[in-house]
Amino acid sequence: MRGFGRFIIATLCGIVIAVGVHIVAILASPHLADRDAFNNVQSTLTAERAQLVSAPGGEDTWLPRPDPAVAVATCAFDLANGPMRIAARVGSLPLSFSFHKESGGVFFAVTDRAAVRGELEIVTMTARQLDEARAAEDENDPSRDVRIVAPDRQGFVIVRVVAPSPSLRPQAEEAAKAVTCTAEQDT
Amino acid sequence: MRALLTPISPVTFRRVPTAFLIIYALLLALGLGLSTAYWAINGDPPFGSLRLGSWQAWPKLGSPEADPYMRAIIARRGDVPLATGEGLGFTARTDSEGRPLDSACTYSIGAVAPIARLWTLTLYDGDGRLPITELRRRTFTSAEVLRDSQDRFTITLSRTLQPGNWLQLPASGPFTVVLRLYDPPGAAGANLEEADFPVIQRLECGA
Repeated sequence: MRGFGRFIIATLCGIVIAVGVHIVAILASPHLADRDAFNNVQSTLTAERAQLVSAPGGEDTWLPRPDPAVAVATCAFDLANGPMRIAARVGSLPLSFSFHKESGGVFFAVTDRAAVRGELEIVTMTARQLDEARAAEDENDPSRDVRIVAPDRQGFVIVRVVAPSPSLRPQAEEAAKAVTCTAEQDT
Repeated sequence: MRALLTPISPVTFRRVPTAFLIIYALLLALGLGLSTAYWAINGDPPFGSLRLGSWQAWPKLGSPEADPYMRAIIARRGDVPLATGEGLGFTARTDSEGRPLDSACTYSIGAVAPIARLWTLTLYDGDGRLPITELRRRTFTSAEVLRDSQDRFTITLSRTLQPGNWLQLPASGPFTVVLRLYDPPGAAGANLEEADFPVIQRLECGA
């Protein structure tokens, strides 16, 4: 009976440690995943324009469950070289930006409703770059940039343009590809 | 007999089994912990789901408050969820009475949808891919769906030709329907009600 009692204790210990293993595995998996979205967009780090991830129609894309009515384009960024400015001309088609961390997870999103004079323009930077930009700013001529602080140095922006009808799909694709994302050298 | 057994038993019972039990406990922990984690990240997020009729969504999936399970699942799928503020995607795997969706049946979806700048309704097969059908249409958007005089719509899902809004189902197997609301008013999922969602009715099941 004593042996059996110890066996029970060992099993309970095993279950308690298993809870810890489970938690560690769940927390670590976004950092260990090798097929996540950032790996797929990494090649766009140096591109000046958003690269198409999923053309309307949803064919040939790594994106799971693509929406055939939506053109999806992406810009990866690495803020080590300075802030990144992403800009789009807003047309009649619904357009939105979402900003993602390298390990996945959204940190900011904005739609074309926030556009000013037909332009949607966001500057994303690290907290340090924001401090520097503020320090360098002229008090009488404050910057009009919309600045977003990125939690990590690396990440990516996803551009979505929705085509309400199939005939607008080429236009949505053009709008998504026309989005520019330029690295700003020391502002 | 007693005098013989007692000095022996503490030795045999303690030394070998203790090492064995520690290894057993660690292996159990590793096996159980990793298998449950694997199972969890291949499924749906266990917490924070919003269920309205047949439709299910995870409003926090596209927000900075996503829990660790959601983050692990997003990384595993390689997915880029719709962000809060961009829109919200609802998935249906069952009809209005809770029966799994099956391509052998005919369904009608209607007649209203929640307020949004635009919505799309898309079919996926059991593996989450866009189904390949003769019709080649897998989606309806709110702009192209045909409506009646009271502004209501009905989309028929069937393998065979149907009048009106028709989406052809794949040849066999289960399927899912995803309703994506783009740019809905208010915060994600805050003021949505079940009555505003389209109802998925099973009409008939042929062989």
